[in-house]
Amino acid sequence: MFLRMITASLLRRRSRMLVALLSIGIGATILSGLVTIYYDVPRQMGAQFRNYGANMILLPSGGEKLTTGEAQEALGAIPADQLVGATPYRYVTAQMTRSQLSFMAAGTDFTQVQATSPYFMVEGAYPSGSREVLLGEEVAQTIGAKLGSVVEISYKPDAASADAATPITPGAALAGSAEGFNTNLVYVTLTLDDEMKIASLTVNADTQTPEYGGRAAEETYTRQFIGKSLPVRLGEDVDALSGATITSDAVVQAVNSARPTANAAAASGNTLSLRVVGILDTGGKEESYIFLSMSDMAALTGAEDELDVMELSVSASGAELEGYVSEIAEKHSGITPRLVKRVTRSEGAVLSKLQALVFLVTAVVLLLTMICVSTTMMAVVTERRKEIGLRKALGASDSSIRAEFLGEGLMLGGLGGALGAALGFVFAQVVSVHVFESSITFQPLLLPVTILVSMIVAAVSCLLPIKHAVAIDPALVLKGE
Amino acid sequence: MSLLELKNISKIYGELKALDNVSLHVDQGEWVAIMGPSGSGKSTMMNIIGCMDKPTKGEVLLDGVDIAKESSKKLTDIRRDKIGLIFQQFHMVNYLTAVENVMVAQYYHSMPDEAEALEALGRVGLRERARHLPSQLSGGEQQRVCVARALINHPELILADEPTGNLDEANENIVLDLFRQLHREGTTLIVVTHDPEVAEAAQRTIVLEHGRVAREIVNENFQA
Repeated sequence: MFLRMITASLLRRRSRMLVALLSIGIGATILSGLVTIYYDVPRQMGAQFRNYGANMILLPSGGEKLTTGEAQEALGAIPADQLVGATPYRYVTAQMTRSQLSFMAAGTDFTQVQATSPYFMVEGAYPSGSREVLLGEEVAQTIGAKLGSVVEISYKPDAASADAATPITPGAALAGSAEGFNTNLVYVTLTLDDEMKIASLTVNADTQTPEYGGRAAEETYTRQFIGKSLPVRLGEDVDALSGATITSDAVVQAVNSARPTANAAAASGNTLSLRVVGILDTGGKEESYIFLSMSDMAALTGAEDELDVMELSVSASGAELEGYVSEIAEKHSGITPRLVKRVTRSEGAVLSKLQALVFLVTAVVLLLTMICVSTTMMAVVTERRKEIGLRKALGASDSSIRAEFLGEGLMLGGLGGALGAALGFVFAQVVSVHVFESSITFQPLLLPVTILVSMIVAAVSCLLPIKHAVAIDPALVLKGE
Repeated sequence: MSLLELKNISKIYGELKALDNVSLHVDQGEWVAIMGPSGSGKSTMMNIIGCMDKPTKGEVLLDGVDIAKESSKKLTDIRRDKIGLIFQQFHMVNYLTAVENVMVAQYYHSMPDEAEALEALGRVGLRERARHLPSQLSGGEQQRVCVARALINHPELILADEPTGNLDEANENIVLDLFRQLHREGTTLIVVTHDPEVAEAAQRTIVLEHGRVAREIVNENFQA
C-alpha cells in the first residue's frame, strides 16, 4: 500500500512531480557528467601534456654507455598503452669538413622523436632514409646550409686528446668534455675571438639531471662565459648553477680542457656525406645540434648500439611515474631513471587545479539542486495541505507522514539519478569531444553512485518540507472551506 | 451505556469562549445531531470529540478514557481506532482511486485489504466505481466513498461534519439511509448539521448557541 500510494502520487500528479524529477535529473546529469570528466581529466590532460615533451629519462649509471637492448628491457616496466614514445640519443662532437667547425651531433630515432618531442618544428622533413640529416637552425645558418644541401661531417674518436699538440690560436674552434654528475659526460664546443676570449659556447648537458645540471645548457647560463679568457675560473669569472655545482664544475673543466678541432678531418676518422632534408626550429638548444639516424651515427663513430640517454614520454600520473622510476632503478642497476620534474610537477599542479574547479562546480550544482527540489517539495506540501490533514485525521501518525514524503523523495531521487547518470554520460561525452577532442570511457560504478547521491540529495531536500507537513493540523479538514 | 461524556468543558481562545461549560452525554448506539448557527461552537466541539483538539477546561471521556489529558500522539491512536470521520467537503486523496482511498484508512489502522475495501464500497453501492479517481465521481458518490472509508475499520463512533452540506436531495437521502443502516447495526453516530431535515433523522438534537447548549430536542418520530 505504501508503494502503491507513493507511486500513485508520482504517476497521477505528473506535472508537479515532473518539475521535481527534472531538477533532480538535471542535477544528477551535471553531477555524473562532471564526475566522469573529473576522473577522465588526468587521462585527457595527460595526453595534452605529452605535447610538452619527455617527462622521464633513462641515463646510464656510472658514466658507462647504455645499450638499446638494456633500455628497451627497462621499458618493460611501463605499460605499453602509457608509453607515448621512447627516444634514444647518442651524442658526439662532430666536425663539418668544409668549415672546420665543430658541432654536437645527435644520433636518434626520428619516429620516436616525433612522439616525445611533438613541439619540434621541422622545415622540410624528418630524415627517413640513410645518409640524411636534420640540422638545427643555428647550425644551418652558421654553415650556410639549405634544404637539399650536402654536408660532410667527420668524427675522430677522442678528438680532444688527438689534437693535444695543436696550439690554441685566436679564432680557433674548440671542443671538450668532462665528467659531470654521476660521472656522465658533459660536452662543450666553443669558439675564440681574435683576442683569445670566448666568442661562443654551446653546452650539451643532456646527461645531467634536467632541472639541475641540465640547465647548464641554457643560454642564460652559457652567456656569462662570453668574453672571458681561458682558463675560466668557477666562482670568479662565472657563477655555478645553484644546486648543480658538479655540473657547473664539469662545464668549466670541459671549457678549460677543450682542444682545437681544426684539422680533425685530416686525422684518421670516419667521414659521412649527408643530405640536409630538414631544418629544426625549437627555440632551444636543439637548434645548435645536428641530428642523424642511429645507423648513420654508428657508421660515423664505428660504435654500434651505444646511447647516452633515452627520453621517455609517459602518459601517467605523478605517482605512477615515481613507481616506474623506482621499479626500473631497482631491476636495472646499469640504468638511472629520472623524472623531468619541471614537466611532471606542472602537470600535477594544473591537474589538481582543474579537479578542484570541477569539484567546486559539482558542489554548487548539488546545492542548487537541493534548493530547487526543496522548493518544489515545499510547494507540494502546501498544495497537499488538505490531503495531509485528511491523512492525519484518518489516523496517520507523524512518522507515517514522514515516511510517505521521504518515500516520494527517495523515489524521485532514484529516478532522477538514473536519468541523470544516463544523460550525464552523454553530457560528459559531448564536453569531452568538444574540449579534449577525444571520447571518454564509461565508469560503471558511476551509475549506482549517482543514484545514491541523488537519493541523498532528494532526501535532504525533503527534510524541511516534511517538517512542515508534519506540523499540519488535522482539524483543518473539518472546517468547511 | 455511555460511550462519550463531556463534563463541563470549555474552550477559550484568548477573550473568546468558543465553548462555555458544556456537558454532553452520548450512549453507545445512539444517534445524535448537533445543530447551531455559525460561531456557536459546533466545529470546536467536533474537533474535541474527534480527538483533534483539547478543551481548555473539563473532562472528555471516550470509552472511559479522558482524552483531554492524552498526548497528541495518543490522540491520533484513539482517533484511528475508535472514530470514523465524514466531512462536508468529502476530502478524498485526489490521485488515489475510490478503493485506494478506502484502503488508506485501512493502511493507517492496520493492514490494507482490497477485498474488504471493495465490500465496503459495495455496501454504499459503488462496487462498480471502485477503480475511478475522485475527479471521475459525482459529489454524492464521493461522499458515499467517504462513508465506506469511515466504516471500514468498524469504529465505535462515526463523527460526520455537515455530511450532506454539499449534496442534492437524492444523494442526501442515500447518505441518510446509510446512516440508518449503521445505526441499526449499533454504530454510534454524531452528526453536525445546519439542515433540520438531517437533524430530524437523529434520535436527539443538541442545539448550541454562543458556546452553550441552548436546548435539547428528542425526536418523537424517530424510526430506526
